[in-house]
Amino acid sequence: MTAQPPVLEMRGIRKAFPGVVALDGVDLSLHAGEVHMLLGENGAGKSTLMKILSGAYRRDDGEILIHGARVDIEGPADALARGIRVIYQELTLVPQLSVAENIFLGALPARRLGIVDRRALHARTARLLDDLSLAIEPRTRVSRLGLAQRQMVEIAKALATDSDGGPAATVLVMDEPTSALTNREVKQLFGLIHRLASRGVAIVYITHRMDEVFRIGERVTVLRDGRVVATHALNEVTVSELVRMMANRDVAEHFPKVQVPRGPELLRVERLSRAGALDDISFTLYAGEVLGVAGLLGAGRTELARAIAGADRFDSGHLYLSGAAATLKSPADAIKRGIGLLPEDRKAEGLVAGLTVTRNVALPHGRRLAKLGVLSPRGEEKLARPLSDELRIKATRTQPVRLLSGGNQQKVVLAKWLAGGVRVFIFDEPTRGVDVGAKVEIYNLMNRLTAEGAGIIMISSELPELLGMSDRILVMHHGRIHTTLERDAANEERVVSAALGLDGGTPGQPTPDGAAG
Amino acid sequence: MNRARQFGTLIGLVGLCFVLWILTPYFLTVSNLLNVAEQTSINAIVAVGMTFVILSGGIDLSVGSIVALAGVVLGLALHDDRSLGVALTLTLGAGAACGIVNGILVSLGGLPPFIVTLGTMSIVRGAALLVTEGRPISGFASSFRVLATGRAGFIPAPVIATATVYLIASLVLTRTTFGRYVYAIGGNEEATRLSGVAVRFHKTMIYGVSGVMSAIAAVILTARLNSAQPIAGMMYELDAIAATVIGGTSLMGGEGTLAGTLVGALIMGVLRNGLNLLGVSSFLQQIVIGGVIVVAVLLDTVLKRKHRG
Repeated sequence: MTAQPPVLEMRGIRKAFPGVVALDGVDLSLHAGEVHMLLGENGAGKSTLMKILSGAYRRDDGEILIHGARVDIEGPADALARGIRVIYQELTLVPQLSVAENIFLGALPARRLGIVDRRALHARTARLLDDLSLAIEPRTRVSRLGLAQRQMVEIAKALATDSDGGPAATVLVMDEPTSALTNREVKQLFGLIHRLASRGVAIVYITHRMDEVFRIGERVTVLRDGRVVATHALNEVTVSELVRMMANRDVAEHFPKVQVPRGPELLRVERLSRAGALDDISFTLYAGEVLGVAGLLGAGRTELARAIAGADRFDSGHLYLSGAAATLKSPADAIKRGIGLLPEDRKAEGLVAGLTVTRNVALPHGRRLAKLGVLSPRGEEKLARPLSDELRIKATRTQPVRLLSGGNQQKVVLAKWLAGGVRVFIFDEPTRGVDVGAKVEIYNLMNRLTAEGAGIIMISSELPELLGMSDRILVMHHGRIHTTLERDAANEERVVSAALGLDGGTPGQPTPDGAAG
Repeated sequence: MNRARQFGTLIGLVGLCFVLWILTPYFLTVSNLLNVAEQTSINAIVAVGMTFVILSGGIDLSVGSIVALAGVVLGLALHDDRSLGVALTLTLGAGAACGIVNGILVSLGGLPPFIVTLGTMSIVRGAALLVTEGRPISGFASSFRVLATGRAGFIPAPVIATATVYLIASLVLTRTTFGRYVYAIGGNEEATRLSGVAVRFHKTMIYGVSGVMSAIAAVILTARLNSAQPIAGMMYELDAIAATVIGGTSLMGGEGTLAGTLVGALIMGVLRNGLNLLGVSSFLQQIVIGGVIVVAVLLDTVLKRKHRG
């Protein structure tokens, strides 16, 4: 494979933004049919590099060759015409439209007077999906599909011009495509990636998950601070070597868990129910513990988090804080009682993109920082500075958070709740889309919080993280707590079988089991 | 980036003044400029409230009707021989009440602001007409009219009022929690709610601010015309939205400044004044002003795109 000339080659790519050199002489070559992993911490330059490839940014310097010929990618349309397809982390489908309409949105087959030729549309879609071995019905509304299927539709859309006589896809870039998928869905996606690669499509795959790197990658390029550290065949390197290349510091232990003796009861949830989402949930969170919450997408984990944090109402059930009954009508109530939520979707729920780092961090503390409603910029700064230093947020505090990388954004959301008063932390997917170095920092922070007597409820789809950091794990299935596992008794198999609703996993069902829903 | 944008609008204003100065030397006389400032004051004040609302991601179409109703309340109170203080309190109270009703319907009712204020625009206007049976209330004591006709030195009272309103409103927007929440709600309402901010309360108050601004404008208008008219303030909402948008505030919310809005209002005022001086027909004026709005927003969008690219 390496004997053939590269499908696409980038040489000495440079791109600077005001104040930052995002890329400084990056080389990258892609061969037909390879799955090329792109690794790097947040802010290493992966996204910028891909945006240059997709035509979203213009490079400042360097050259791009396609099949050995030098080209200028003049914009997104030009990139498409040259066979480059990019699938971003945020999906771009219109939920109200059908699968077929989404796939051919830009080129709906029409008859005279602009009337859409539905038969041709559905036939063409069916052919495309069939060709990719995807069992999705073209007429289905996208809003009715799960995340994995939407991901597949997105890929089909990217490849759609293929069967249309347009330019064929030669390079497919995927930016963390599995960040919202369950293990089984990931397997489907990888199957599709293999099929595409075997047809000669070069695939660039950006991820933070080491297991994926070795599962589907052939070669890997590691970026750090806008430069290429190295490109290797994956059978030449080990995980720890890659981590060291990315972070330039040894992350000796992936999960630096520090166990703290269990303290007094912080939060007790009794028989919490919400129609269609939560069914008779009871558990207790103690000071000093990390309570992991496992489950498949749709098992009710996020709904549980939001209910406890006062973000959503529930139909019945009670909450007790340090033994006293608490009624939480709003997030404001919950915060006043010391409950802080790190939401699942940080862009949609955690941050105000246009506000600066400092102002985002200070947002929950406005009342405390202000005198008679007047804010002092110095007071906000005094609150935000030590937190952003401690969390090593790599940004000026006067930057709008919109401009920050994913890991740094997550740290800003974390910083919001560290400024005092919060005893019960609810972390919903705290490390999703966060690089290895920042992950370890977040784990260390969790250790510090529990050592100081806080309790953490950690929802995660990453099993190693759940097993590595939790003192206990609640496994949810269909809105119920299926099983509770102590740290010593928890292993991958038990968590997975419980999440799938299978019995015979483990003994110990400490929660009162009400009537079946 | 925002600063560059504002600077651009300011350059537009200066350039416009320069062109008018060449076309008609009278434009750049002190008396004419004061005239422009005075004529701009009402739209500029209404646009303050509009800026708050738009920054929070909403829109307020009822401002013109509130100007009319608040003016009618003022006229009735003055004719009822209330003291000026009581009359002004009632006027501002009426404006605030209208705004708060808007705010409650938007925040508690969960209705789209466009629809809510489209409805109250008609309701409030109807109320003003009903109370007065469609007739203007005219003839006030000079102790009241001095609010429009008075001068401090050579500066007209409405200009002083406008400057004061902008100063206070800017401080509120930049230095208080309320102001911060205006931007935060417009930028990301759910994130703001999850941060423990009482979003519904603050949204309600934002529309209340808009109502109060309309009432302040009503005071100046009534004093200037020596008459409170139930048909006053027609189309004010469009002028206020135009000033806000020309001034660089994003209709999506979360981004913009009052300084920009002031420049936007001045651009519209200068343009109207200049076209009048040049004897351009009022029909043609409408076309020119509409064109300026579109061009301003177009420039803004193009500039922003460049910055992103």
